[in-house]
Amino acid sequence: MERTEILPRLRGVLEESSTQPIDWSRLSEETTVESLGFDSLSILDVLYGIEQEFDVELDAGDVMDLKTVGELVTLLAERAAAA
Amino acid sequence: MARRVLITGLGILSPLGADEDEVWRRLVDGETGIAPLTSFDTEAFPSPYKVKMAAQVDDELVADGLQAMGRRSMDRALDLAMVAGDRALRQAGLIGDAPYEPRDVPTIIGTGTGSAQSIYEAFQRFTAKGPKGLLPSTVPRVMYNAISANLSMHFKLTGANYVVISACTSSANAIGDAFKRVRNGEAEIAVTGGTEGCLDPFFYGVWNNIGVLSSNPDPSLVCRPFDAEREGTALGEGAAIFVLESEESASRRGATVRGEILGYGESSDASHITGPSAEGQAVAIRRALDSAAVEPSALGYVNAHGTATRANDTTESTAIRLALGAAADTIPVGSNKSYIGHTLGASGALEAAVTVLALERNEVPPNFNLRNPDPDCRVRLVGSEAEPLERPLAIKNSFGFGGGNGVLVLGAYPGGA
Repeated sequence: MERTEILPRLRGVLEESSTQPIDWSRLSEETTVESLGFDSLSILDVLYGIEQEFDVELDAGDVMDLKTVGELVTLLAERAAAA
Repeated sequence: MARRVLITGLGILSPLGADEDEVWRRLVDGETGIAPLTSFDTEAFPSPYKVKMAAQVDDELVADGLQAMGRRSMDRALDLAMVAGDRALRQAGLIGDAPYEPRDVPTIIGTGTGSAQSIYEAFQRFTAKGPKGLLPSTVPRVMYNAISANLSMHFKLTGANYVVISACTSSANAIGDAFKRVRNGEAEIAVTGGTEGCLDPFFYGVWNNIGVLSSNPDPSLVCRPFDAEREGTALGEGAAIFVLESEESASRRGATVRGEILGYGESSDASHITGPSAEGQAVAIRRALDSAAVEPSALGYVNAHGTATRANDTTESTAIRLALGAAADTIPVGSNKSYIGHTLGASGALEAAVTVLALERNEVPPNFNLRNPDPDCRVRLVGSEAEPLERPLAIKNSFGFGGGNGVLVLGAYPGGA
């Protein structure tokens, strides 16, 4: 799976899981995870949404230390390559 | 000896607003909070809604309140309770700037339809996508006790937290429960009240078809309690949260006292799931007066359940007469539902809040749209103008589907606000 393919699909998942007034069209690999404003409850929905979208299994530990959306894209690309 | 239970904090989020002076002004001026429904598009469904009126809370009030608390919107009933709770605890002087210190305070909240909005949204996802559409956060959102739990977590209240669900008696039961805990010495302070966020397409639709909602298109005539031409009630949303406190604790803290809860009575009709019983209601009123150790003649105001349905108003009038005897000839009886609609599980709390405002101001709010009193409602109804409160003691009646009845006795506190 190409990186360029991952970002738009990820954008869809994040948008659906968020209640924040964020301009999702500006989401890029440089966007920080912190700026997306997920809390302990909505992050569960994000992880679940990513699992459904990309057919992977994640736990909170996998994504806890990620700083940017780009790092998340890398993680998903690695998982896709390993599958 | 039973301890005195004072009200040291009150937060209102109602279709008449959140500012107490503004709420009171609208009550006295006869300005209803009922208006055409805007919480969703009633035209967006395969069949029409019969009724399109409701008493809604201003969305901006809720959004501003949540923002000031640093919280996101989660669920309508929860959001309303959070903002009202913040106002109540702040007024009581129990919170200032965060972070808050943990306090051993129970949180007991009444609600009828609970997390209705979250349940509706979860069902929509389920219908669209099946089980995979159900997000992990669904459980902590749809569980009814999310309301009391989030209050407890946000304000660091470490006593018991739970919700009471008994239809339109919910918050009277919740306040009664909290009252008993403080009176008996189990708690020094309790956070209680009620919330209702029932104006989603599903729950609003459910109420549309039960035959108790008025379809009058004039907001000021939708809900006319005790009027011979009443056509039914209107649904409303809102929350009122109380801080109840023992007299000792309030005095120790130098808290401002808003009023007092002197007694509480409850009963069940044990007869019909939706039909009320005057006898059952009268028992609850008598028990409330006994609990407060006051005679009917000491009352200055009956804040009625007064739903403006055919069944309620005549039955309640009979119950008031049965319970109060000859005193029912002179004690003014009023309902707030012509202003705020029927806020279901929050109605007991919101209308108890109005009762506190009335006791503080020595005035009884009007039945603003009462034109032709129903001759079968043989009680002394307040007219379309406010009137002086003769005695600083009132009862707040709450009756619900399921036959549960809850009655609070509220009084002015000498030297209070």
